[in-house]
Amino acid sequence: MESSEEKVVAVIIVGGPAEGTRFRPLSFNTPKPLFPLAGHPMVHHPISACKKIPNLAQIFLIGFYEGREFALYVSSISNELKVPVRYLKEDKPHGSAGSLYYFRDQIMEDSPSHIFLLNCDVCCNFPLPNMLDSHKRYGGMGTLLVIKVSPESANQFGELVADPITKELLHYTEKPETFVSDLINCGVYIFTPKIFSAIEDVSMHWEDRANVRVSNFALQMATRSLLPDFVRLDQDILSPLAGKKQLYTYETMDFWEQMKTPGISIKCSALYLAQFRVASPHLLAKGDGTKNATVVGDVYIHPSAKVHPTAKIGPNVSISANVRVAPGVRLINCIILDDVEIDENAVIMHAIVGWKSSIGKWSRVQADGDYNKKLGITILGEAVSVEDEVVVINSIVLPNKSLNVSVQEEIIL
Amino acid sequence: MKALILVGGFGTRLRPLTLSVPKPLVDFANKPMILHQIEALKAIGVTEVVLAINYQPEVMLNFLKDFEKKLGIKITCSQETEPLGTAGPLALARDKLIDDSGEPFFVLNSDVISEYPLKQMIEFHKSHGGEASIMVTKVDEPSKYGVVVMEESTGQVERFVEKPKLFVGNKINAGIYLLDPSVLDRIELRPTSIEKEVFPNIAAEKKLFAMVLPGFWMDIGQPKDYITGLRLYLDSLKKKSSPKLASGPHIIGNVLVDESAKIGEGCLIGPDVAIGPGCVVESGVRLSRCTVMRGVRIKKHSCISSSIIGWHSTVGQWARVENMTILGEDVHVGDEIYSNGGVVLPHKEIKSSILKPEIVM
Repeated sequence: MESSEEKVVAVIIVGGPAEGTRFRPLSFNTPKPLFPLAGHPMVHHPISACKKIPNLAQIFLIGFYEGREFALYVSSISNELKVPVRYLKEDKPHGSAGSLYYFRDQIMEDSPSHIFLLNCDVCCNFPLPNMLDSHKRYGGMGTLLVIKVSPESANQFGELVADPITKELLHYTEKPETFVSDLINCGVYIFTPKIFSAIEDVSMHWEDRANVRVSNFALQMATRSLLPDFVRLDQDILSPLAGKKQLYTYETMDFWEQMKTPGISIKCSALYLAQFRVASPHLLAKGDGTKNATVVGDVYIHPSAKVHPTAKIGPNVSISANVRVAPGVRLINCIILDDVEIDENAVIMHAIVGWKSSIGKWSRVQADGDYNKKLGITILGEAVSVEDEVVVINSIVLPNKSLNVSVQEEIIL
Repeated sequence: MKALILVGGFGTRLRPLTLSVPKPLVDFANKPMILHQIEALKAIGVTEVVLAINYQPEVMLNFLKDFEKKLGIKITCSQETEPLGTAGPLALARDKLIDDSGEPFFVLNSDVISEYPLKQMIEFHKSHGGEASIMVTKVDEPSKYGVVVMEESTGQVERFVEKPKLFVGNKINAGIYLLDPSVLDRIELRPTSIEKEVFPNIAAEKKLFAMVLPGFWMDIGQPKDYITGLRLYLDSLKKKSSPKLASGPHIIGNVLVDESAKIGEGCLIGPDVAIGPGCVVESGVRLSRCTVMRGVRIKKHSCISSSIIGWHSTVGQWARVENMTILGEDVHVGDEIYSNGGVVLPHKEIKSSILKPEIVM
């Protein structure tokens, strides 16, 4: 029987600017975790999922973005969701296990019985309360959220094998060349505080193995440190512990995506919009062309945006703050960021339009919508201006460019 | 005497280099681009330089503090809140450019490098007694630019023709002007083009004169022209027998090596190479027609030609980098990698070869 005072904390790994080159050109001026999906910053979604955890004491964001970018966001989300959120800034990347260990004192402040660990760039429905119940039943040190994917795509992730009855994690391998399993690691975990000693143990073994090779005793003593600098959770800690009755799996049947590239963020935005339709339909826009613009499918429109009634919006469109959409505009499967102006009769399809950009009359900004291709989603960086009647197809445009001729399949610096 | 340098905007044509610093601070021949112009102005007695900017003023202002002291010249900024074109910034900086002396002031375009024969330009301006003087330069393909049609013997400008389809002349605007303060009365504080609005008015009154620029000229606002510009610049150093050029058995043609750079054994450097401060070029390296910026390490046995290697990058052992490869700041090309025209944004690692010109974000 558990005590009703058992506290739980959640740790969300947000990363930092240096490793975010894959999210360019959208990450030039805005940290990736604050990029909006379905109208809310990426990290808002795991944070609001954490809110459903019973006895949640604290949410920690760990990363190495400069404190001020996050300070404003953290205090506003803390107020809005009425849950304590704290940003812990690393001095440099430590790997996800390294980071967890580095901040163990703060994380263990409230003596939590369980610690959730989530990666910020994971898009899923975060079944955290159910996962916690299952974890307690298994009685292990940790439980991983897992999902079945198509065998062809499995090797992009961490593949794992689980016992079908006990759900124990039997084997784990990261991005294998040959097929191991179609069950993959979602990047969402629960641990008991024993994880910290597990991290210590594993890195002590490294030290010992490394020290055996160093013959000079004095050198050994000089180089002994508590923990090597960079410890990855999956490869370095979990993989060795597989099959030792310490780690278990919890399978989700719902959606899951990892937001590695900007193009996938449209797909993730669509998944969250669909989730809103089920859980919070009041957040979605409605309209039939009379007083408000015609809305098709799932659409989010920020309250400060102005959309002309003759525009047709959707499906799968997110419109951020202060956007102006002129008469006769058609938007399909796109994300329109803050302060964008879209002029009359323009068409935007399968694209992300960056903050403060302007889209001219009768222009077309589109792509074929293949999220896996490098140029499958057209991306316009901050303050890009597309002039009247210009066509931009399957292209990426860096910030502050002005396009007065049509382009296709190009990256424009 | 005063001068205005038109620095302008985002420098997008020089990306990825301008993703790390504003364009005037991108190094050219081991010196920030704008320093070449400021030094030329200081040399003929200009006491105050105004930089007309509209992007990243904090970075520019920091730079100014360092160089104001070192050069002993006053440097100020005039910041546009909206783009004002090529003439508007002069109106914005009016108060800084006019003083009681009534002397003319220089206006330079920051993308340009040349010999800067500014003393001759002052004499030319005095001798014709007109209101404005501009430098023009002879080019092979005038229809890519704005052509200045002038009377050969006096230099009096008749008209400007933008990108002419038929040949009207082969002299184009070199982006170096010497203007009487009265020119400022012709410019309103709004987006204005000096070539399309201001100069044609002055020319109509027969008060605009053009001088043919002696020596080399290049607009180095894009990578291809930057590399050609370095060749022209080093060539002019050679003609002046400048001691700055490197010499030695491992040097071919015109090469500039910063004194803090280290070059290993068995290298062959040149022609037309600039190696910046703190660079390490390991043994057995071949460099030609390239710029290597501050803090770069070029590892053993590699070969680089016709490329620009950005600050603090590294090029791996036996790597081959050529054909307009541009590496941004902190880019690391792995051992044995081949890059044919790769354009790589800052903070990247190149672990597989780039077989044809491609942008790596």
